[in-house]
Amino acid sequence: MENTIEIKNVTKKFGDFTAVNDLTLNVPKGSIYGFIGPNGSGKTTTLRMLMNIIYQDSGDIHIFGEKYKQSFKDRIGYLPEERGLYKSMKVRELLHFFGKLKNGKNILAEADKWLKKLDLYNWRDEKVETLSKGMGQKIQFIASVVTSPELIILDEPFSGLDPVNRDVMKDAVLELKESGTTVIFSTHDMDIAEKMCDYVFMIYKGKKVLDGTLDSIKNNYGTDIIKIMSEGGLQVLKEVQNEIKGIENINDFGHIQEIRIEKTCNPQNILRSLIEKTAVSRFEISQPSLHDIFVRIAKPVVENDGEVKNAG
Amino acid sequence: MLGKIKTITVREYKATVKTKTFLISMIIVPIFMFAGLIVMKLFGDSVDTTDKNISVIDRSGIVAESLVRIAEERNKDEVYETKDNGELKKIKPKYIFNIIAPDDENPDKQRYQLSEKVRNKEIFSFVEIGKNVLHPKNASSDESDFSNVIRYYAEGAALDDIRIWVGNPLNNEIRKLRMKEAGIDPGQVTELMQWVTVNGMGLYSVDPYTGEYIEAKESSEGEAIFAPLIMMMIMFILSLLGAQPLLNSTMEEKSQKISEVILGSCSTFDFMMGKILGGVGASLSAALVYVGGGVIALKYMDRSDLIPLDLIPWFFAYATLLITMMGAIMAALGSTCSTAKEAQSLAFPGMLPMIIPMAIWIMIVREPMSNFSTIASLIPPLTPMLMLLRQSTPYHIPAWQTWTGLFGVIIFTLFTVWASARIFRIGILSSGKAPKIGTIIKWVFRND
Repeated sequence: MENTIEIKNVTKKFGDFTAVNDLTLNVPKGSIYGFIGPNGSGKTTTLRMLMNIIYQDSGDIHIFGEKYKQSFKDRIGYLPEERGLYKSMKVRELLHFFGKLKNGKNILAEADKWLKKLDLYNWRDEKVETLSKGMGQKIQFIASVVTSPELIILDEPFSGLDPVNRDVMKDAVLELKESGTTVIFSTHDMDIAEKMCDYVFMIYKGKKVLDGTLDSIKNNYGTDIIKIMSEGGLQVLKEVQNEIKGIENINDFGHIQEIRIEKTCNPQNILRSLIEKTAVSRFEISQPSLHDIFVRIAKPVVENDGEVKNAG
Repeated sequence: MLGKIKTITVREYKATVKTKTFLISMIIVPIFMFAGLIVMKLFGDSVDTTDKNISVIDRSGIVAESLVRIAEERNKDEVYETKDNGELKKIKPKYIFNIIAPDDENPDKQRYQLSEKVRNKEIFSFVEIGKNVLHPKNASSDESDFSNVIRYYAEGAALDDIRIWVGNPLNNEIRKLRMKEAGIDPGQVTELMQWVTVNGMGLYSVDPYTGEYIEAKESSEGEAIFAPLIMMMIMFILSLLGAQPLLNSTMEEKSQKISEVILGSCSTFDFMMGKILGGVGASLSAALVYVGGGVIALKYMDRSDLIPLDLIPWFFAYATLLITMMGAIMAALGSTCSTAKEAQSLAFPGMLPMIIPMAIWIMIVREPMSNFSTIASLIPPLTPMLMLLRQSTPYHIPAWQTWTGLFGVIIFTLFTVWASARIFRIGILSSGKAPKIGTIIKWVFRND
């Protein structure tokens, strides 16, 4: 499979702080690659290095099969984490400016197409300062795709959007993938990452801790989650936890509880114990969600100062 | 790369020339300049015509009466002007001298009492004539002995017209007395005593096409001082219009995260150069309006001779270099700031290449050929304003100095752009508190 991005043993330090530590990562062409990780873990630093805005201290980054060239910036769309638009410019004028900066062709026609698609066409001649935050974010997204780049890097594109606009943005990203564009986006929304990404990469304290397809990641974690709905609820579940060894964690959602079990623990014993005590309406053994995996890795109680097991 | 610089330049240019500050400056500055000149012209001859009472202590006892007499003659002949309709108009104050007896026992007390009268506006000033003015050699060599001089006491003695006027009749009278003592009849030597005016002239030159001699022009105070000052002021204003705004605009682009979006499309150097060239473009647009407007105005006033055609190319060359240099400095400093307050605190050190010439211009204009002037004008950050200032004076500045100055500024401007690019590259993506000047300088030479 052809890779759009190849990162090899890349390290970036800011003074004594290692933001990215010996990172190796391949992004296949035409895929959607999700970057996840807690705040300050190194996602934005990695994305900025991909954009050549900051430079790695060591290691190699190849894009489109070659070492980085300044001209690659014209082939990459970039939506930074914090949106930056000239407030006094008009929407179309602004999109034209950003498009020209990437040596784009038919910029205004493309801009109009995207403005219509994202329901902003009527705002095309308004100044940016008159737009709402969500509108501004969509304009910033259009600015990153208006030149039809081959690779798009989106740093948290869904943050701050209402559900309707999230869906609009999600559809836009999927449409880009359909057209053959490689998409990388970082997100804190595990649900979005799980549903949209072909591959997920997690960085924690500068180190890669997950990398692969969602299935491969989940398979590494096994089927150790049980979702339970019972009349007795949390109270009864705590009694069962005292009786049966191997229930590591109970996550209470009110109407439903999720437990995580050790590999040696037999779910049938848990079910039997529950039935003896209360009426059980749901007992579902499943793989952990991406959210579960994220929390397991990123919880501050992680052993050995972040030296967590790489599931990927 | 050039296309990207051009795109940023055009945006920066439009953003700058559309600001209210720029538009107002384009209108207000010429109005103020010309209004100032008109006001100076209108009120240049205006004087306080209130009569001036001056006390005279004549310790020599021989010249005060003559002073009173000559003052009375002046008051009669020079104070009033007859208008076309025959009415008399007072155009100067009367000088009314009042001789008072010297207090030889306590001269300081008398001087103090008279000073108090001046402060209380009872008299305008007082004159003290030393007892040895007729024979200065009789005075002791003691520095505190003022018996061979005339002292004029007033609140603004240094700039007082009376002080200048008093010297003439007193000296004439003293000379007459000396001649009398020498047995010469002063009436017979009037012509000998006649004062001949010295007219300040420029230099002759030859017309390169006809070979004819071009007569030297009389050099005026305005030509010697105000013409150079106007040139320098225009350059100062151009820097304020084109370069100084880059400090805030860069800071805003950084704090509003616009810079990161732009850096996703071009290099930090392209970004910075685009901004600088946009500022230079805005400044030069203003320069064309100012200079073009000035040339048209002078032609309209039939004073084409005042247009310094030979200096205009130098003006544009220096203005371009100064604004490029200042723009680079401002953009670099702006990239290190995240708030308007931080930017404000860096504005002063950043503007030193403009502020220093404004502080020393009068010394340069008075002595444009002095070592101080030469050296100061060859210090590259100061050259654009100071060399142009020297070139605007009637003096001929040696060609080696002007070309060395220009070469030095070009090299220094290139260095400034290079150094600023290194600062900009780090500053624009840095966060937190603005670094100290020392840290900023370290960024220039950091090896990475």
